[in-house]
Amino acid sequence: MENKFKKITSLWIITVLILFVVAIILGLLMRFNQGGNIKLDPVTFYTDMTIHGLTMIGIWFVAGMAAVNYIMERYVRTSYKANLIAYIMTVVGVLMLWGAGFIGKFHAGWTFLYPLPFKIMWEQWATPLFLYALLVLGVGWTIWTVSLMISLLKKYTLSQVFAWQHFKRDAKPEVETPPFVLISMISLVGVLSCLITAAALDFLLLTEYYSNGGFINDALLMKNLTYFFGHTLANEMLYLGLAVIYELFSEVSGRPKWKTSWYVAYAWNLTLFFVLFAFLHHMYMDFVQPETLQIIGQLASYLASIPSTGVTIFSILVAVYGTKINWNLANLMFFIGTAGWVSGGIGAVIDATISNNFLLHNTLWVPAHFHTYNALGNVLFSLGFFYWFSFQLKDGIIKDKHSMLKILLIVIGGIGFLAAFYFAGADSVARRYANYPEEMASGKFWATFGGTFATIYLLGIILFIGGILKRCFGFVFSRV
Amino acid sequence: MQSLLLYLFLILTVVSTSVFIYVYRSSIKAGDKDGGLTNVLTKRMWFILILFVVLAIFFSATVPKSPYFMFKDEIPSKSVNVTAGQYFFYMSYSAINPDAPTSEPIELGVNELVEFRVTSRDVTHTFAVYDENNQVVAQTQAMPGYVNNLRWKFEKPGTYKIFCLEYCGAGHHIMRGSFTVK
Repeated sequence: MENKFKKITSLWIITVLILFVVAIILGLLMRFNQGGNIKLDPVTFYTDMTIHGLTMIGIWFVAGMAAVNYIMERYVRTSYKANLIAYIMTVVGVLMLWGAGFIGKFHAGWTFLYPLPFKIMWEQWATPLFLYALLVLGVGWTIWTVSLMISLLKKYTLSQVFAWQHFKRDAKPEVETPPFVLISMISLVGVLSCLITAAALDFLLLTEYYSNGGFINDALLMKNLTYFFGHTLANEMLYLGLAVIYELFSEVSGRPKWKTSWYVAYAWNLTLFFVLFAFLHHMYMDFVQPETLQIIGQLASYLASIPSTGVTIFSILVAVYGTKINWNLANLMFFIGTAGWVSGGIGAVIDATISNNFLLHNTLWVPAHFHTYNALGNVLFSLGFFYWFSFQLKDGIIKDKHSMLKILLIVIGGIGFLAAFYFAGADSVARRYANYPEEMASGKFWATFGGTFATIYLLGIILFIGGILKRCFGFVFSRV
Repeated sequence: MQSLLLYLFLILTVVSTSVFIYVYRSSIKAGDKDGGLTNVLTKRMWFILILFVVLAIFFSATVPKSPYFMFKDEIPSKSVNVTAGQYFFYMSYSAINPDAPTSEPIELGVNELVEFRVTSRDVTHTFAVYDENNQVVAQTQAMPGYVNNLRWKFEKPGTYKIFCLEYCGAGHHIMRGSFTVK
């Protein structure tokens, strides 16, 4: 592996981890304010909330992309230039978003649901800055995504990259598609579809902004576009993490490499299809949305869970059951992350049921489930990769220190932090409230409870990432 | 109902996490020559089939209970217009002028079918009804340019509160309303 790829990957990791810690601190401020332990004015609270959400979704998406790009070099030549452009545009985009938020006080939430960005309750310039920041991020990420897709298509044909030659049960194809290549391509197609949607959304928003009232968007269409983009991106970043697991879990465990079989090929091709319709569950409470789409939303949300659980989770359990594994912090993170992903998935399927959503929609149950498959799922997938990668910068031999302490802090802190969301959500406490009215008094208790455990989680994260940062910084500033 | 969903979640999560812990422990105990499961594919098929059947049962049991189908064939005895705006709910039996909205006290009968016609004069809000135990009983979105019709029968008398559940700006958490059921 060329050192320049190791350097750019190290840069991605350093950036992601620093932003991660900042974003957790913003989250802690929010929870402690909700608990009445500190006092933020509502504008500061909602600005923090907007930046927290945007930063988290952005960094864990690029973390997945950076990991996939690094590993993909094993199979195809990827473009260093595209990787670098994406890095520069991500940093510029994040700075613009932070400028719009921290300085301009833009606080429309990370989903910036139309027409909220146009009800100026902040500096006049913050709205266009925010919209252009999205454009910068979108262009950078599109260049990266398309470049990776082209790299794959230079080596594999269209049917090979989607592993269609594996569909026959007893097939012994001349060209085998590694699971990593298949899942990466499936995820990249999904990513591209949400980036195209984001471009359409941004274009419509900018057009209205500059039309001086001459052009008004349709709120229902904009909401559908927003959630197609937001929901799909959140799902695809998880799948990027899974691609890494398919490649690395067996490798770091000292087990034979996983291969693409007919059921793996079917499962991931079906997932590509189902996941594109799952976003419709965000529209359940919009009764004007056609009923057929609402039912498709529930059906797709259910079906999307079958191939991924049936194949990925089962594969990991089977690979571990009764088998001697070289356990270390990297594959433990993958394993625990998969368990967390299942729990988050259970919470998600419950909420993706229309009759349940009628009671749970936009209560704390929503952040409960998506924080579960992020904080104790996807984040752990990426941390497992970062950890493994940081040892590749040296001799490749993983040397764990204080493993039990780090895992206990992350897991116990994570469970307490998430439990607070579920219990409060089941008690009808609203999400995204700076302060709770007396009718939601239990929210205050759960906010303090969750914030305390989130502090333990943060402590575990800081301990975990210390060594990674040291090795990555050392490599970036070395003369190799 | 919300408590039941919480218990369902907790039970399923404890079960799935226990499986992971059990599998992990089996790996710790395994010797060098232990090869794990045999005939994996058959087991995988059973796993997927069971999952599919469970989800199919859930799907067919829950879809008819979706709010779009509730009280669909009945005629509401009362309709209430609701216009949400930063950061108020305006409710009236008669039409509401979005440029000069006004409210009137709303009083509904127990088990009376009421239709709330919900819209917004600015950004997207939620019209979420909370009972006297502070639990959500019904909700729909208030979206500019659209009217969402929510039909409901309140089984218990009392004062019902309304909160906004869709983030709508810095005053989101202070937005509230109420009506009585007698």
